[in-house]
Amino acid sequence: MSEYVLELQGITKIFPGVKALNKVRFQLRKGEIHALMGENGAGKSTFIKVITGVHKAEEGEMFLDGQKVDFRGPRDAQNAGIAAVYQHPTSYPHLTVAENIFMGHEEVKAGFIQWKQMNEKAAALLKELNADFKPTAEMGALSVAQQQMVEIAKALSTNAKIVILDEPTAALTKNESEELYRIVEKLRDSGVSIIFISHRFEDMYRLATRVTVFRDSQYIGTYDVDKITNADLIKAMVGREIKDMFPKPEVKIGSEVLKVEGLSRMGYFKDVSFTVHQGEILGLTGLVGAGRTEVVESICGVTQPDSGRVFLEGRQVQVHHPADAMKEGLILLPEDRQKEGLILSWGLGRNVTLPVISKYAKNSFTDEKKEREVSKQLLEEVDTKAISVFDLASSLSGGNQQKVVVAKALAQEMKVVIMDEPTKGVDVGAKAEIYQIMGDLALKGYAIILISSEMPEILGMSDRIVVMCNGKVSGELKRGEATQEAILELAMEKSAPVQEGVANNV
Amino acid sequence: MAGKSGRTLSITQESSWKKAVFSWEGILILLFIAVNILCICISPNYNLKNVLREMPKYLTEVFLLLPMAYLLLLGEIDISVGASVCLSATMACMACNAGLPFPLVLLVGLAVGTLCGAVNGFILTRFTELPPMIVTLGTQIVFRGIAEITLGSGGSISLTNTKQFHAMAGKIGPVPYMFFVVILAAAIYMVVLGKTTFGRRVYAIGSNSLASYYAGIHVQKIRFFVFTLAGFMAGVSAIFLTSVLYGANTTTGNGFEMDAIAMAVFGGISTAGGKGKLLGAIISAFTIICLRIGLGQINMNPQVILVILGALLVLAVLLPNLAKKARSMGIMAKAA
Repeated sequence: MSEYVLELQGITKIFPGVKALNKVRFQLRKGEIHALMGENGAGKSTFIKVITGVHKAEEGEMFLDGQKVDFRGPRDAQNAGIAAVYQHPTSYPHLTVAENIFMGHEEVKAGFIQWKQMNEKAAALLKELNADFKPTAEMGALSVAQQQMVEIAKALSTNAKIVILDEPTAALTKNESEELYRIVEKLRDSGVSIIFISHRFEDMYRLATRVTVFRDSQYIGTYDVDKITNADLIKAMVGREIKDMFPKPEVKIGSEVLKVEGLSRMGYFKDVSFTVHQGEILGLTGLVGAGRTEVVESICGVTQPDSGRVFLEGRQVQVHHPADAMKEGLILLPEDRQKEGLILSWGLGRNVTLPVISKYAKNSFTDEKKEREVSKQLLEEVDTKAISVFDLASSLSGGNQQKVVVAKALAQEMKVVIMDEPTKGVDVGAKAEIYQIMGDLALKGYAIILISSEMPEILGMSDRIVVMCNGKVSGELKRGEATQEAILELAMEKSAPVQEGVANNV
Repeated sequence: MAGKSGRTLSITQESSWKKAVFSWEGILILLFIAVNILCICISPNYNLKNVLREMPKYLTEVFLLLPMAYLLLLGEIDISVGASVCLSATMACMACNAGLPFPLVLLVGLAVGTLCGAVNGFILTRFTELPPMIVTLGTQIVFRGIAEITLGSGGSISLTNTKQFHAMAGKIGPVPYMFFVVILAAAIYMVVLGKTTFGRRVYAIGSNSLASYYAGIHVQKIRFFVFTLAGFMAGVSAIFLTSVLYGANTTTGNGFEMDAIAMAVFGGISTAGGKGKLLGAIISAFTIICLRIGLGQINMNPQVILVILGALLVLAVLLPNLAKKARSMGIMAKAA
């Protein structure tokens, strides 16, 4: 019998244009709680999906109890005793708890579901977890914490030996997290091996004995939790020296262009204030879900804030629609370029000129020739890799699609350009090109807001960094004083174990 | 900072006669010719004069096809337009029988239709999460219900004074006025869709409404406008229908919405939005009209005609898929 209940070697997973996992390895001991950490996009989720059979790795081997296995689908993983619980429970809200627990492996006799038996079994599982709700309760009526408990019960109902928890505490309150810790520890004591993914250091310190770190789709290392300092762990998660990847030009920062004052939107962000100046790149960062995107969406009229004021060049502006924002000189390049940024079934040229067709039209009649010329010039300016302006947007790589989105902004006279995760899903080479464009825009006097979860990007490109945490601005750092550790400290929720571990790094 | 790599993009688009012939519109024109040849062969009475004489009652549906094509391109649908025709026609007839001056009668018909469309537009833009299919199914029942209540127990209304409506159904030579109006309307709709900023925005919203919204397009305003336009055209259709029928009853305009949708889809307009040309829809409309007239002339059972048209429609939506499959299989065979 092998020392490890689960072992993966040299796992490589390639998505079109992106290497999501690059020869990573992982070892899970029997009955341990093993934390898996890394930045957003480090490859954790993809890795989990390889383990659970959702994705098939291009290369690499996987061993269960020393036996080589090859999963062809989630069903195989489930039969082998692997179960996953996701951050947002993937449940059927209109069905009962018991139905959710036994979804896909109902208690059946001669084709009929055995309700009584199923409810009894579900009740037994819930009792084991000290749940305070009935198996016949409707799933949608439960809290997120309770739904997660159902998911764990579901994992147990398949007699799972390995349970994967993907950011289970992200949506939980402090007390609910404590309850979850108790359940997870109980699971471990009963001999289940657990992989625990979390952004919260508190979770890791509280539960895990070992931690494995991924960064940029690669395996960085596995450490004993009580032997590694917080500072070393953060360095392992983010540390990377590619300063020259960020051609940040020295720009003389001009007068204030955009000022946001006390912007609030119920349930998303509260009392957010900041300013951006001409030629300045303002980094806006924080963990996913901190409210960064929601803030800029409200500034640009995609959603309406409940209170707060927005000033442009000292004048208060009312923005109720993205069209209003563009009229004022504010443009948001949205995070999801395929859904929000581009019309994939259209040619590049038409995509670029879509916001400005009226500008070139005569008496509402479009001037296609002029549009083609304008779009050609703009697409060349951002160096788009394409053959003609008629190439479909869907035919380009992520990086080139992003360039088209930028060209769309250049087609108008803008003062503030807000880029939401401009390099998400973009490979390294194209990333550097996008940073170059960003620098050029700053040189031209645009005020730029860069939203990003990638530390090196934020540190490399920003003149100033505003960090958000739980919908509030938790701090502001100047270019000189910003470090990854300082940002992470501001971005993480304040809690005792984090405080004691972090080195004072200002 | 132009082109660091010196890469340039081409702005010329290759065009060829092959592409034009093998486009869906090209195939439809061939089909139109084929249908006419078929009709000439099977019916001795099938000639231009007779076709033009029988055409008006079918032409009223083309008025609905035009805005329906816009709606489908937006990714929307409106199945209440047939009921709007019924309600508009009923109200126009009542206005006429009440002795209102003729221009006012026309105005009543148009206003009622426009109002119906505006109600749809208002509901759907106010509550954007509602599916247009269900909302317009609901308003369809409401509009027809109101018409039936208005029509009372008899269920029909006849014009007491047909003089002016009769004049509307006049002809220039053998060609009815309505034909010219349809052609004019179709031309305007085609130019607006193909050449104006409004048309481009319609395609944009149908292709990706979220990206259009981020690009500063007033998506809800355009949706409201087009739903209202569909209502207005239902009013136009109602007036011309009244000029043919001299009255209205509870079944007036029944199924018009489905015929309009069928003509649009047969013409290559995708119900998923953003794809297709109005030209194709108009050719397909005339193809279907000619087939109906031809089959009607040889006294074919109307139900059988329906079966043929339905089968043709299914075939039309199936064809592009089959072609795609054949092509991908060809590519796979080459690769293997």
